[in-house]
Amino acid sequence: MKGVAEQPEATLQEAEVRTGAPVSVRRPSTWAHYRALVKKDLLHEMHTRDMLTSMGLYALLVLVVYGAALAQAGTSLDIQQMAGGLLWAVVLFTSLLGLNRSFSHETADGCLDGLMLVPMDRSVLFLSKATANLVFLLIVEVIVVPLFFFFFLGTVGAAPSWPLLLAVLAVGTVGIAGVGTLLSTITVNTRGRDVMLAVLFIPLSFPLLWSCVSAATAVLIGAEGFMDTFTMSMALAGGYDVVMILVSWVLYDFVVSA
Amino acid sequence: MPDRKDRNMRVGGPLDRFAPIGLLVGAVLAAVGLVYAFTVTPLVNGASVDGVEVINGVAVSNMLLLSQKIFYWHMPVALVSFIGIAFAAFFAVRFLMTKDARYDLRSKLAMEVGLVFVLCTMVTGLLWTRFEWGVWWTWEPRLTTYFILMLLVFGYFILRNAIADPERRAAYSSVLGILILVDVPICFMVTRLIPSSIHPVVFRSDSGMSMDMVVPLLLSVVGFGLIAVGLYRLRLRAQLIEERVNAVQEALED
Repeated sequence: MKGVAEQPEATLQEAEVRTGAPVSVRRPSTWAHYRALVKKDLLHEMHTRDMLTSMGLYALLVLVVYGAALAQAGTSLDIQQMAGGLLWAVVLFTSLLGLNRSFSHETADGCLDGLMLVPMDRSVLFLSKATANLVFLLIVEVIVVPLFFFFFLGTVGAAPSWPLLLAVLAVGTVGIAGVGTLLSTITVNTRGRDVMLAVLFIPLSFPLLWSCVSAATAVLIGAEGFMDTFTMSMALAGGYDVVMILVSWVLYDFVVSA
Repeated sequence: MPDRKDRNMRVGGPLDRFAPIGLLVGAVLAAVGLVYAFTVTPLVNGASVDGVEVINGVAVSNMLLLSQKIFYWHMPVALVSFIGIAFAAFFAVRFLMTKDARYDLRSKLAMEVGLVFVLCTMVTGLLWTRFEWGVWWTWEPRLTTYFILMLLVFGYFILRNAIADPERRAAYSSVLGILILVDVPICFMVTRLIPSSIHPVVFRSDSGMSMDMVVPLLLSVVGFGLIAVGLYRLRLRAQLIEERVNAVQEALED
């Protein structure tokens, strides 16, 4: 036991002699783990642009489908009533696509096995993966939401309260990234994983989707007393986020080491 | 240590002997509760059978008042389905704590019993909705949350079927079982949280239920609870016997 402990001491002294400066080695903090893992995901994405391209294109195509779907309604349709729901549908389906891909390269390159060998808290994996997914989703939303306004709210316009939509998007995306990360870790090892993720993710995220659509519709219409609906729905969505992310965080260790 | 294991694996213990009796008693109690609800319990607010009653300023005809009787079936079944899912989540937690496959089996069986009761709740609920609200389905908060609860339970079994490795299957389905439990309180509380909900709220201090209504309700709750326990124990027994048969078969083949 003593010999094992002395080994690094000796090499440290050697290093000090070689460099001529005091050298110290510390166990990297959890925060350092987290930063390194997020950086790994972001770098991987910058090199391959795998998720962003596919998600961005898919979102754009969903908007094109909306164009066909709503074309026959003409001007008689009150688009403001439906805008919140349509926007969240595109966000949900796009994130479904992205989440499916987010773990495939980890298993393909044996990256996850390597990460499992690192002596660290496994839930850091969850937080870093969820953060990376959140960043990608937010980037896609930055592109898609203005496009959505351009295509569908160009003539009608939204109520002056529309900037609050950003808060709704933020809260909703955090929840989607949290739950989705856990579920995509589960489904990456199952048969027919694309369908499996949808089967689990859509019902599980339904309360979040419901409250986000409700809040988004409230701010886009901006009818009298919309703040009540907005705060109520945001409280529901926020509560869902907190509960679901805490539960996923706790349970992630069991999933990733199974 | 082996003693404890034997006790858990044993088939035919006192709980197993209780299972068929519990099932029978439960069925009788539930039936008595339903008959009681139709015969002894008066219509809501004491309306006469062929009259019209004014409730909350709305004239309600006798047909609608009779349709309320499904409540004595619907509510206990829904309650038992929640309890079944809660037990599935409890065994899932036990599995994650111990990594013992026995808890995974129990979690799965509790979820199966939960699924039976979820389907019963859905069917009775649809019948009532058709009669009372005039539609088979509406996206009302309670209906919606219960519907997604049903979808999640379906997803639980689809997930189980999609994983071949037993250990991984057990871990994943346990995690999902705990996640499903999160929807139960949402479903339970949603009629209180969202004011636009038209589904009646049952558990409240001013529910105005007379003694004649409480008695059949409690009979049904206890009856369906016993049915659930009986089903669970019988199913568990069958599974354990099957496991033993498989083990014996393998031993004989060797």
